Amino acid sequence: MSESKDKKAINLTLKVWRQIGPDVKGSLETYHAGDISTDMSFLEMLDVVNEGLIIEGKEPIAFDHDCREGICGMCGAMVNGRAHGPEKGTTLCQLHMRHFSDNDTIVIEPWKSRAFKIIKDLAVDRSALDLIIQAGGYISANAGGAPDGNAIPFPQESAEKAMDAAACIGCGACVASCPNASAMLFVGAKVSHFALLPQGRPEAVKRVLAMVKKMDECGFGNCTNETECEAECPKEISITNIARLNREYLKAGFL
Amino acid sequence: MQLDSKVPDGPLSEKWDQHLFDLKLINPANKRKFEIVVVGTGLAGGAASATLAELGYNVKTFCIQDSPRRAHSIAAQGGINAAKNYSNDGDSIRRLFYDTIKGGDYRAREANVYRLAQISNNIIDQCVAQGVPFAREYGGLLANRSFGGAQVSRTFYARGQTGQQLLLGAYSALSRQIAAGKVKMFTRRDMLDLIIVNGKARGIVTRNLVNGNIESHAADAVVLATGGYGNVFYLSTNAMASNVTAAYSAYRKGAAFANPCYTQIHPTCVPVHGTYQSKLTLMSESLRNDGRVWVPKDSGDKRPPGQIPESERDYYLENKYPSFGNLVPRDVASRNAKLQCDMGKGAGETGLAVYLDFEDAIKRDGRDVIAKKYGNLFQMYEKITADNPYEAPMMIYPAMHYAMGGLWVDYNLMSTIPGLFVLGEANFSDHGANRLGASALMQGLADGYFIIPYTIGGYLAGTELEKIDVDDSAFKETADTVRSQIKKMLSISGRRTVDDFHRELGKIMWEYCGMSRTDEGLAKAKDLIVELKGEFRENALVPGSGAEFNQNLEKAKRVADFIEFGELMIIDALARKESCGGHFNADYQTEENEARRDDENYSHVSAWEYAGEGKEPVFHKESLAFENVELTQRSYK
Amino acid sequence: MNWFFDIIRSSIGKKMMMAVTGLSFCIFLTGHLIGNLTIYKGKDAFNTYAEKLHSLGPLLTAAEIGLLLFAVVHVLSGTLLFIGNFYARPQRYVIKKSAGGRTVGSRTMPYTGFFVLLFVVFHLINFHFVDKTQQTIYLIVSNAFADPVYVFVYIAAMIIVAVHVSHGFWSAFQTVGANHPKYMPIVRGTAICFSLAIGVGFGFLPIYIFYMQ
Repeated sequence: MSESKDKKAINLTLKVWRQIGPDVKGSLETYHAGDISTDMSFLEMLDVVNEGLIIEGKEPIAFDHDCREGICGMCGAMVNGRAHGPEKGTTLCQLHMRHFSDNDTIVIEPWKSRAFKIIKDLAVDRSALDLIIQAGGYISANAGGAPDGNAIPFPQESAEKAMDAAACIGCGACVASCPNASAMLFVGAKVSHFALLPQGRPEAVKRVLAMVKKMDECGFGNCTNETECEAECPKEISITNIARLNREYLKAGFL
Repeated sequence: MQLDSKVPDGPLSEKWDQHLFDLKLINPANKRKFEIVVVGTGLAGGAASATLAELGYNVKTFCIQDSPRRAHSIAAQGGINAAKNYSNDGDSIRRLFYDTIKGGDYRAREANVYRLAQISNNIIDQCVAQGVPFAREYGGLLANRSFGGAQVSRTFYARGQTGQQLLLGAYSALSRQIAAGKVKMFTRRDMLDLIIVNGKARGIVTRNLVNGNIESHAADAVVLATGGYGNVFYLSTNAMASNVTAAYSAYRKGAAFANPCYTQIHPTCVPVHGTYQSKLTLMSESLRNDGRVWVPKDSGDKRPPGQIPESERDYYLENKYPSFGNLVPRDVASRNAKLQCDMGKGAGETGLAVYLDFEDAIKRDGRDVIAKKYGNLFQMYEKITADNPYEAPMMIYPAMHYAMGGLWVDYNLMSTIPGLFVLGEANFSDHGANRLGASALMQGLADGYFIIPYTIGGYLAGTELEKIDVDDSAFKETADTVRSQIKKMLSISGRRTVDDFHRELGKIMWEYCGMSRTDEGLAKAKDLIVELKGEFRENALVPGSGAEFNQNLEKAKRVADFIEFGELMIIDALARKESCGGHFNADYQTEENEARRDDENYSHVSAWEYAGEGKEPVFHKESLAFENVELTQRSYK
Repeated sequence: MNWFFDIIRSSIGKKMMMAVTGLSFCIFLTGHLIGNLTIYKGKDAFNTYAEKLHSLGPLLTAAEIGLLLFAVVHVLSGTLLFIGNFYARPQRYVIKKSAGGRTVGSRTMPYTGFFVLLFVVFHLINFHFVDKTQQTIYLIVSNAFADPVYVFVYIAAMIIVAVHVSHGFWSAFQTVGANHPKYMPIVRGTAICFSLAIGVGFGFLPIYIFYMQ
């Protein structure tokens, strides 16, 4: 009950990765975050720190964020070595400070991978994920020609599975948390989403070959089934989608 | 300025058909000679970019986020309406039209709303074809649920992530066109100004948010799909970057702004809990299908909800509106929540919350059924509040959610500037004074997939367009103006952060121009805003430089525009001496505290024309004619 | 054949080769272990098994060439994957913690693989490329395991193999796409059992022989 919830304020030491541009060397800088309400979200805590920095005439910490309700996929950082922080199935904006204790030290780093260049501090360029979608993450259906929505009934179960996969928010936590910086969960989710729907089948072969090719070109690592992505995914997308990607790829390649 | 709605003649149901036939066409081979700029990649902008490119136009698309997939349409939860009548409960295009007009408190244009209802069915088909995983019944057919303001089940949904799935559909269609080379995508760009050549919209000036470059882009037509201005309240359910700057720059260049005072306060949001709070989170309206709203009967009853017996609870919506119950439209639900809290019956520490209780639903359907319907919402609630809604009722409070007002557009979705089209939430067209749930997604996609592709062709085919180049003086001058504005902003070096100004603006707007307004309060707010505007110009503190990734500079420009826009909202609210939908002025209410419209004097669209810095905007009126519905006092009893 | 090389050169293709060759080695290990267990039946049984195996002649040679080929593919793809993965994150995290997905096996795959390769070479030099005309295979083996250093090396190697296989086994199923929520727990359980069987089965032989003498 919120009535009995203890309102608390905590003091924290932050070690934040500061880097002014993509090709410049970055390093961890230490900041003090005092009197942080445990009801704050992680990003609100950063807002408070930044306001302080601005008043002091220092450069605020750059970080990407937008919807702050866990759906746009814009935010994300490594918090003490964990993508989006220690809570399961949670984006950084939905991580609340009640999960930290007084006098904790928090290390905050951006997503790091060859395919994601750091723009500034915690903001990274994830356009490689867009490139993969552009390679084939769509169904070619021009506006205007669609049959009635109920024309092709298909099992609720496949619709649900497709929805599980389609829940991906494209935040890049899978890449960030993967020891190999692989994007297989991202690609697996998109390929699965379409592979499970009858509308997606006509282009299934072309899609999976093109998307995997683009993924490799973008410089992502290879999946070695460490399953860290599944454990860190804020939408808890399962690695069965990676298996489905493998299956689709083999089918497309050899049949 | 002349407001010509260009609504075609003829019977309501044939207007759109007739208009499609009357629109001039462009030969497919000639379409590639036209360059179209689309700003925004939400449902409207994404769908428009993709569809225009499919038709053969060359499209340049811009968004502020790092990827077109992140536009705030993504956060819509509940669903999208369509008049499919799949539920066989008596729905029809006519009924969807009627519900929308009535829900909008009779302040929308009939022809636009009817067209929206007609197109709604095509949208569902298109989305299914794109692979949007809508919820399905066991038999494999599409599932529907009911939503506020309607007595039929016409809402299609994909769990609690409908907006996300529809946006990903539009995004995938857009991605396909980017790969095909028909759309050139510009991410992390802020549109800062509109370029007018010979009275026509011919391009935009943007700032590259990564390196700060000011860039000009020429076009034959400009499409704005830049969303709503809800963040004028600082705290809203909008994304942090949602802003009015693009629309406001068009307003400054001569596009009329219509009904800015129509703002929708959404009844089911997580209540405010601290001054540091940066945003309010919405809990889908679909929760009201199964949740029951109540407050304690006695004011000042601070017992935890579990200790308040059934007999001491006031299920005020069910009691007051027996036929719609908890499913009354948003404005009604919000206002009643405020009324209860004003009487001191509010829950929680702040007293600014009401209960949304699932106990009966869980008893009736079982926890699993409820979890399947609302699991992700419950989880989200628990993450934010650390309370478990399966065990204790949720606490909710209204929050700023959607802007019905927007740039004025005619039936072709063209603003008062020729060649400037405005889609989705950024225009004012379809929702009147209040939007029904699950209608925003419908409008965004209707505009993008099925209206602009035809109407823009009509404009381009019938307009003489001079050859232009980004090196022309109009482009250079506009870009220079933008540069000097940025320079000026960076040179203020005051002592207050931009966020601090934004917070104060939000407080003023929420207090005096929020859920309940009064003439006196609005007048006071106007003075406060003018004062705030003055202080901003002298005391804002914007760190860093313009030639780098500078998020505070982005914010500063947006807040500066919000402050000016806030004034416009208040001017509009003051001018509307009635209550309707989202504009509730306590000076104009019935004895039962319902909105009292004045159809005789205010059955019109108020469109405001910019008159220059420091001058009162010029009022224009588009009268609304209702030939197909009877104007009645909206009743949900 | 361009399409073929395109496929196997891709990240999934390389992994698929790891999976197919790896699973083949699992089958080989099973056969090898069953054969070796004849040691418990005594010297003669073991020698007979070896003779029978050698009497297969060209079939055996074919199998050996096959195994060698598979080994080359497995090592080569593994190396390429390892290098690719190394470069996929040029700048490391200052702090990186597991969310609970990684296991000892998955974490150490390239390193255990490298040791297994060294061990296989060592093992072949010891028992395969030796003059078997003068002494029986049993004699060679028992001589070797009279030395506690050998016993130690082999036990250590078997632990490493078991760790490698614990991840490799289920991982191969995942890579070829055989992951179903119903069956995956069984596959993962089998991986643990199989790696234990390999580790204990092979690892106990040197100890047995050491104490038999």
